[in-house]
Amino acid sequence: MEASNVVKVFGSVHALDGLSFKVKPGEIYGLIGPNGAGKTTALRVVSTLLLPTAGTVKVFGLDVVEKAAEVRRIISYLPEEAGAYRYLSGWEYLEFMAKFSAKSKDEVRAMVAEAAEICGLGERLKDKTKTYSKGMKRRLLVARALMAKPKLAILDEPTSGLDVIHSYHVREIIKKYVREHGVTVLLSSHNMLEVEHLCDRVALINKGRLVAEGSPQELKEKYGCSNLEEVFAKVVKIA
Amino acid sequence: MLKGFGTFLLKELKELMRDPKILLPMIVVPLVMFPVLGGVMGYAMQAAQEQAIKAALVVVNNDCGNWSNTFINFLQGLSAMGFNLMIYTESNIKPLTSEKVLELLSKYNTTQILEIPDGFSQNITIHFNNPNVRAYVRLYSVLRGTSVFENIGSSAVDALIGMFNRQHAPDILYSEKATVIKGEVKYGVDPMAVSGLLMYQSIVLPMMVLLLISYAPQIAAASMAVEKEEKTLETLLTLPIDRLAILWGKLLSSIIVAAIGAVVYTAGYSYTLGSVMAGTPARLNVDLAALGLVPSTLGYLLLGLSLFVTIVSVLALSVILAAFAEDVRGAQALVGNIYPMIFLPSIALIYLDINTLPLAFKLVLFAIPFSHPMIASKAIIVGDLWTVTLGIIYVSAFTLVVMYAASKLFATEKILTAKIKFKGLKKRKGVSAEES
Repeated sequence: MEASNVVKVFGSVHALDGLSFKVKPGEIYGLIGPNGAGKTTALRVVSTLLLPTAGTVKVFGLDVVEKAAEVRRIISYLPEEAGAYRYLSGWEYLEFMAKFSAKSKDEVRAMVAEAAEICGLGERLKDKTKTYSKGMKRRLLVARALMAKPKLAILDEPTSGLDVIHSYHVREIIKKYVREHGVTVLLSSHNMLEVEHLCDRVALINKGRLVAEGSPQELKEKYGCSNLEEVFAKVVKIA
Repeated sequence: MLKGFGTFLLKELKELMRDPKILLPMIVVPLVMFPVLGGVMGYAMQAAQEQAIKAALVVVNNDCGNWSNTFINFLQGLSAMGFNLMIYTESNIKPLTSEKVLELLSKYNTTQILEIPDGFSQNITIHFNNPNVRAYVRLYSVLRGTSVFENIGSSAVDALIGMFNRQHAPDILYSEKATVIKGEVKYGVDPMAVSGLLMYQSIVLPMMVLLLISYAPQIAAASMAVEKEEKTLETLLTLPIDRLAILWGKLLSSIIVAAIGAVVYTAGYSYTLGSVMAGTPARLNVDLAALGLVPSTLGYLLLGLSLFVTIVSVLALSVILAAFAEDVRGAQALVGNIYPMIFLPSIALIYLDINTLPLAFKLVLFAIPFSHPMIASKAIIVGDLWTVTLGIIYVSAFTLVVMYAASKLFATEKILTAKIKFKGLKKRKGVSAEES
């Protein structure tokens, strides 16, 4: 996945101001930055939701503007504030989503079974999603995003709203998926521990621009910090 | 009392009353709608009354006796008393055949003919000795449209006969009815009975149409807005699904749910109305099918088509409006703004016959796409399929434009980012806050 000089303007606000970065196949790449830095806008452009004002984004060689429909076939996007259909049960929701990616009924069944394992909701999958807690809903949505084994999974704050145990569980699942299925992951997060633990490489963005990039270890060494949180504070201050 | 209830209620009221999206359809729209509706009703009643009073009455005297002359003098005297009734008399048209009736109607450009049959004077004379013998007059009335006030003309003539009876002797005279329908004279058919049945028919059908058109937009708007409110739209738009499939899925599901609702409501409405009017059709022994006043299969098909294209346009418009709202409440309020365009023509058309309206009024009703199923539901009863067909063509063109706009909206990021901001109101509120 490659973003080159991406600009996104909303009225007078430059949400992205020449952002460029590359994600290698099979890599977990994290976008970190303060609120309003442009992380979510960047993910929305990559996932074909927003059109870039300028610049190009390619996902496995496919332009997100010109080949949007094809891009949607190989990606899976998990928005930060995503919800599920209140009056569908967890099973029905997963089945509904699986039908868009699967080519046969067996594949749908396999995907839903996979998702059931990922989310670990067990019997509660039979209940309507409106009865779920925030954490349960998030687990369901993460499972939905991964069950189709997309080539690129775009996860906006994947552990948002999850407690420590479930966050750990979701992180392990993401890692396992990358390892077993060769899924490439582009994620954003506020949780520096999560980023350090999960990402092969990270990009620090501020005011719609990339201000630092590298593996967590490289960044810590470069800025002489003991953890990414310090790197983050230092870089944002400098920027 | 529940703890904190008052505080919470006040907050809710403030929030609702300060929301311009709610204020507009709840207060401003009715303020405009009801005076307009009142005006329409008033006009309909006035037009029908004027028509009834001004209408010329052709009296065909086939008796030419003393009493028939007395009766004619009585009618002419009424116009001298200030009744705005034009009386034309013809004598000795025997027999008064259907052809002759039609000829006279055309000659005097009227809708009512009163025949005084041979033996009229003789029967009245006998009546004073033998009250069982009564005289009669035959009233030929032309049935034209399907307005609520359609039968005012024939009932006015009945009232005149009542007045004549009061002057001379009770029950001395009665009227036999004949109705001219689509250029044919139907003897023994009371225009009031036909009109009543037509009203029944022309209310049930339009009510179902109205229910369907008014249900569907709320459902479509809610289904669109709930995607935004529940944050499911973003995920949906990144799935490998055609954006138009999303649009059509929403439109069709809304049609289905609205249709179920309309059928249930209409069944209930029809049952209620049927109970109210129970006995009427049987007692009057009027068979609308035999009179050619039941819509044809083609008529029903055209009505279905008219309804379908209109509903698609209303739904597409609702989905577009809902896309600009942030939540269900906002969407429903926005959609509320198209209701006057649905209800005003629909309610007006229940009371009015579009053919009797002034041209400007007629053009306004034809220009509103949502009035066409209502026009169609009445037009198919009298077999005016051209009006229905032209309406379908017009609404289809309108639907295509709206669908194009909806598909454009769905194809772009606007579906996610579009919002209607009530800038003007906010600005004014800001100014007044500063001033205070």
